[in-house]
Amino acid sequence: MNGTPRVLNRVLVGILGLVLAAAGVLFMLLATVPAVAQWWRQWSSDAYRHASYLAEQTRIPGRQESWLWVAAAAVMVILIVLMVAWLAQQGKGRANMIVADYEDETTPGEVEIGGGVAEQALKAALAGRADLAAVTVATYEVQGRPGLRVRVYPRLGVSPQLLAAEISGLIESLDSVVGRRVPVLLHISGGTRARFSRAERVR
Amino acid sequence: MSSGSAGNGPVDNGIAGGGIADSGTAGQDPGIRTILRRETRSSRAVAAGAAAVLVIAVCVYGLLESALRVIGQPPWLIDPQTAAERLVDLPAGISPLLLGATGAVLAMFGLVFLLNAVLPGRRARHLLEDRRVGVVVDDEVIASSLARRARAAANVTQEQVMVVVSQRLVVVNVRPTSGVPVREEAVQSAVEDELRAMAPSPMPDIRVNVAVSGVVGA
Repeated sequence: MNGTPRVLNRVLVGILGLVLAAAGVLFMLLATVPAVAQWWRQWSSDAYRHASYLAEQTRIPGRQESWLWVAAAAVMVILIVLMVAWLAQQGKGRANMIVADYEDETTPGEVEIGGGVAEQALKAALAGRADLAAVTVATYEVQGRPGLRVRVYPRLGVSPQLLAAEISGLIESLDSVVGRRVPVLLHISGGTRARFSRAERVR
Repeated sequence: MSSGSAGNGPVDNGIAGGGIADSGTAGQDPGIRTILRRETRSSRAVAAGAAAVLVIAVCVYGLLESALRVIGQPPWLIDPQTAAERLVDLPAGISPLLLGATGAVLAMFGLVFLLNAVLPGRRARHLLEDRRVGVVVDDEVIASSLARRARAAANVTQEQVMVVVSQRLVVVNVRPTSGVPVREEAVQSAVEDELRAMAPSPMPDIRVNVAVSGVVGA
């Protein structure tokens, strides 16, 4: 329900996996196959000679060091910034409002309804139930518009279809209170909280 | 693990769009459909976090060593130039066993990341049909609900029933109380009944196993 960039995650994790796996396989082959070791020495010493020639050419005037070092450092800094930006994308998408800029001719101005209204109303409606161990409600932004994620942790043995139908009814009454249908995801979750709670035998 | 997964079933039939469309099920709202498809698959946030932290650590270390070199201080672990030289004449200068082991560990981590990226990453969840909301149910919840029905039908205690729910199959294992026979058909029909009322998609098949040996004193 959140805005985690799934395709980006797959691609970047895949690239890192490929690089690590290739390096690992190369090391293993170097250790075991003499022919590969020979090829590697040839290839890498050529590359090294080329790199040192390049470093000679790009020396900073008046100093010993090449500016390639500076460039490498800059690339690493940029990489760090990009990685932090990528980390910040994970699990984002929480929203504050479930209704904003309400288009209605009879109402001058805007109506904004905070996500807390729906969250508190649903929590209060579900609070007294014996068949639920816990309830969490959160507002998320889904494809540019707000949506609700309701997560319930039923006790052992509760029929999910009955629970879903009852919560669906609650959501419909919430619709009439709020005046707008927002997308709602109901996640009936078995977590450790449900597993270690007593079984629900009488309903 | 099959291709015909739930959320992307029948194609949208024109009711699409407006959030205030009164008729139709929640499954026909394209927004909800996308959410449900995403909810049944792993987001790989953990692998992404691990990858990002790994790359950041390597970069920070590289920066540290190059900075030490630039200001003319002795290196912390290894000077970048020396590291490159050591890497160039690799099979020499390190025991083959250590090199091979390092390679194996690296390749293993690489493979974990790669598989994380490539595999479908389906989560142990099913979808339920509902008029208003999109519903995902963890397989554990389905299993405990089916176990309750099976236990009632077989007239045994909670510990004598074990239900395993996977994408396409429900396995119900019953250990009867010694001397009290369990009718397999009764358990089968009770579980079928509950599963039909639940109507999870994809709909799993049911297999009931009644153990030959019973439990004493249950």
